[in-house]
Amino acid sequence: MRSGSSKLRGMLPLEKTTSDPCWLALHFPHLALDLLTRGQARNGSPIALSESVKRRELIIDCNPAALSGGVKPGMPVTAALGLMDSLQVVERDTEAEQRALQRLAAWCYQYSNQVSVPDDRNGLFLEAGASERLFGKPEALALRLGRELGQLGYHVMTGSAPTPEAAWLAARESLHIRSTGHIRQQTGPLPLERLQLDAAQRLAMERMGFRLLRDLLRLPRKALTRRFGPTLPDYLDRLLGIQPDPRALYQPPETFASRLELPAEIIAGQALLFPLKRLLDELCGVLRGGATAVQSVQIVLGHEDHDDTLLELGLQSPTQDPARLLTVLRERLERMRLPGPVREIRLEAPHLLKFSAGQHSLFGDTPAERQQDIEQLAERLQARLGRESVAGITGIEDHRPEYSWRTRALDEQADCTALAHRPAWLLPKPRRCTIENYEILAGPERIESGWWDGRDCRRDYFIVRDGHGSTLWAFHEYKPHRGWYLHGIFA
Amino acid sequence: MTQRFPCKSSLASDLPGANRPHNSALGKLLSTTPQLWKGRRANHAQRTLSTGHARLDALLPGSGWPLGAVTELISAKHGLGELSLLLPALAGMSEQGQWVILVDPPWIPYPASLHGHGLLLEQLLLVRTHTEKESLWACEQALNGGRGGAVLAWPERISFTRLRRLQLAAGDKGKLIFLFRPEHALKTSSPAALRLQLEADAQHGTRVSVLKCRGNRPLEPAWIPRPYSQPHTQQASIPQIPGAIPQSAAAPTQLPASTAIN
Repeated sequence: MRSGSSKLRGMLPLEKTTSDPCWLALHFPHLALDLLTRGQARNGSPIALSESVKRRELIIDCNPAALSGGVKPGMPVTAALGLMDSLQVVERDTEAEQRALQRLAAWCYQYSNQVSVPDDRNGLFLEAGASERLFGKPEALALRLGRELGQLGYHVMTGSAPTPEAAWLAARESLHIRSTGHIRQQTGPLPLERLQLDAAQRLAMERMGFRLLRDLLRLPRKALTRRFGPTLPDYLDRLLGIQPDPRALYQPPETFASRLELPAEIIAGQALLFPLKRLLDELCGVLRGGATAVQSVQIVLGHEDHDDTLLELGLQSPTQDPARLLTVLRERLERMRLPGPVREIRLEAPHLLKFSAGQHSLFGDTPAERQQDIEQLAERLQARLGRESVAGITGIEDHRPEYSWRTRALDEQADCTALAHRPAWLLPKPRRCTIENYEILAGPERIESGWWDGRDCRRDYFIVRDGHGSTLWAFHEYKPHRGWYLHGIFA
Repeated sequence: MTQRFPCKSSLASDLPGANRPHNSALGKLLSTTPQLWKGRRANHAQRTLSTGHARLDALLPGSGWPLGAVTELISAKHGLGELSLLLPALAGMSEQGQWVILVDPPWIPYPASLHGHGLLLEQLLLVRTHTEKESLWACEQALNGGRGGAVLAWPERISFTRLRRLQLAAGDKGKLIFLFRPEHALKTSSPAALRLQLEADAQHGTRVSVLKCRGNRPLEPAWIPRPYSQPHTQQASIPQIPGAIPQSAAAPTQLPASTAIN
């Protein structure tokens, strides 16, 4: 049976036997503008993006606040400023866009292990067929990506098709094309401006009277090559799935760095929470994608005329949970004084660690989870009260009680001898006292030690009761100072 | 309300038939009407943890420390064995891997002694803050995070609303919280589920009386014996501390500057 079917497969055309791949294209139509405005909660101040086209500074994109003032893409910058003097015009930074795409690819890696970053457009491709069982049909994944990227402050259009180029066309229309056979029919009515063509080709097509993709697809291959050169039929073949379209796959990074500009200066620490939450969410998406985690995150707040403010968030254990980072951050921001308004935020995680999610029990009560709970508690307390506010305690081998203990870090082992007849509390320093008020209940216990470190002592310890009925631990010292001292409380 | 029923009303739960309440009309009423007050019956809704002291368990409603609730321990003085009342329960919790958190203890916890009482030091967390406000905030954080465990704190002053917040935070996670409070706390009311007063008693040890408890009326006080509770005034009869080197007691008499710790 097995050999029979393979024979059969050899005889049939390839596309009918293998199930079609499913590429999801993400198109970021306002990527450059998103990078400028995603630090703002709502449509804030009017802002526009400019680019020099043939030595003229033109507006290429602007936010709704600018649109409502009459600014339109394509308008000269001078004209736009004439319409709206409060308009902030920022020059386009293509390198920042490429960096953003790399970061977004790392973020998308959590949904697919085949992500590709094309270098000729503001978009990404990810293979969605293999992860269908995890994230549902491409339509569902597209919705989810749209929603989550929206929360990070990016506008995105999504569509899917069996070939990357067809998916790219589908993204603009929010189309989901199921099989290779349907590509021709569903993309046919699209105008030619949507295709990835160079300007010369597009101009030539317009002059010949072609308007829609359908018009091109009707022509024989030879005629296409003759009129537009060999690249066009090649592109159409990849679009229709006749030619394979291999793409370089994205590899997740080992560090993370993201940057956010604040168009409106932020003065209050609490107002930084919104943009910082976006950065942390983005970071944690990338962490989930690469199965990595962070234990420390550096946040640099850039000021106009002051030195940068550095904030370092340290955790007790690696995490990829944005809520955990945010709690620590919130405490830090609450107590922080900013030297001046903040113009930009940079978030860096220089070390991405391998993450292994601990097993979670139904009732959340495993030792690992308790350890995690206490670590998170320590982080919250330390964020507000300072690092030294939280500690464990451990014993030290020394006969003198005041030197027989020290605080320890939470991950350090505790080690101690057990002395049940000693008091639960020690006074920070032995305190001089008189003996007349005390009844002696037990004793003496001789402690003689410390000849080697210059804090030599000889004492007799007694358990005593004072006039109020409190049980105390007192000693009579012979060396270095003669006298009676209180040293502990039997609570 | 209960008086309208001719007989046995408040003692119904003590009767043999009480386990099968559907047998009688009264039992049916008792089981279906939660508003009915059932006298002398322990509040079963309250989960407790045994204190490890038989006499204390007998005294407390539900036979133990109330889980998910505030317990106040009020005493005029320190050194009455207030911590040793908790130590068996705390030791048990630490053995189960639960955390015991001390928020701003007034003195240094002596590791050797706590370890001697069975408390695992790995499960002990010390929190040091600078102000009373921070201290209470830390308590709330300790109650909010994680599951199980106990929080111990020594607030000098704490408002009713703040206590209530602690009570609510403890309730969510089923934690134990013990507040050691000075005597003036007796003058104020408190939403705590359990309030105990501790007094020194030379003959019997420490007298523990229940000032307030949930779902029950305060009971007679209990005496918790303490080691060395019988005073020894004569030098000859002073018992040796176990493990101590025998020594001829030489107690000098005259000494300067007296300091009381309480």
